[in-house]
Amino acid sequence: MLRAKFFFTLVMIVVGIAPAVAARTPSPENAETYIIWPPDGAVIHGGKFWVRMGLRNMGVCPKGINLPNVGHHHVLIDTDLPSMDEQIASDKNHLHFGAGETEARIELPPGKHTLQLLLGDHDHIPHDPPVYSKKISITVQ
Amino acid sequence: MNLARSMSTCAKVFQRRCASLPYRFVLSASARLAGKLLHKYLALAILFFSGVAFAGSTPAPANAFLYIGWPNNDQVISAGKPFRVWFGLRNMGVAPKDVKFPNTGHHHLLIDTELPPLDQEIPSDKNHLHFGAGETETMVELSPGKHTLQLLMGDDRHIPHNPPVYSKKISITVK
Repeated sequence: MLRAKFFFTLVMIVVGIAPAVAARTPSPENAETYIIWPPDGAVIHGGKFWVRMGLRNMGVCPKGINLPNVGHHHVLIDTDLPSMDEQIASDKNHLHFGAGETEARIELPPGKHTLQLLLGDHDHIPHDPPVYSKKISITVQ
Repeated sequence: MNLARSMSTCAKVFQRRCASLPYRFVLSASARLAGKLLHKYLALAILFFSGVAFAGSTPAPANAFLYIGWPNNDQVISAGKPFRVWFGLRNMGVAPKDVKFPNTGHHHLLIDTELPPLDQEIPSDKNHLHFGAGETETMVELSPGKHTLQLLMGDDRHIPHNPPVYSKKISITVK
């Protein structure tokens, strides 16, 4: 009996490891992130502007803190969504707001740009299901 | 001259006596009492003169800016259905309650009320809504009439920061 239990535990551990690698932080089903400002199609003069990050049915929490139903914002600039089971890159196309910021002052060169929000968990990995906004286009003049 | 000599003798005697155990005890006890009193008054004085009594102990960035993104001041809102309130925060971050992270706090929405004492836990009732899960917007339904809305940040223990971070108080009409 004891041996059976041990074997069962062993199997569970082995079986458990595989999904654990891919297991991502769950997000509430109705969670929604969106860009409050600028609106899609906005024309911005001067190049510097505030991006206001909206989040519904979920909370904001700084990086490194593992709590249910929270995450932190990432602003994706001029890029597509990254891989959803890896840490979100940190570069000039992927801005991290790991201190719980909900607004960011951004400066972009003149021209057309895209903006999109993607929420990351305490470890900068998107949730399951991932919480991301519509991708918007803006023009900087 | 004589007085000075007698005083120095006195001091010597006192020193000698203090060196013996019971006196030393009395002296240290009274010194401790004096220290305690001094500490108390000093703390009171600091509280009184530095304004510490009017804010919590968690520091906030000097340029932190809190505002209500929507509704606008003097907004007229249709009655009978909830409306969304946007919490705007600049130069500071949001963290759920009990999370101690530099330059963060969580939102509190004050409805039809003045700012509470800024060195105490923000009350939790129908006039003081807490957003301890890190929410950055909410839905509110208010009775027809005039109402005021104001945001106030609280730290991990629901106490306002130093300096306190609060928004302009806006007025709305529900009808």
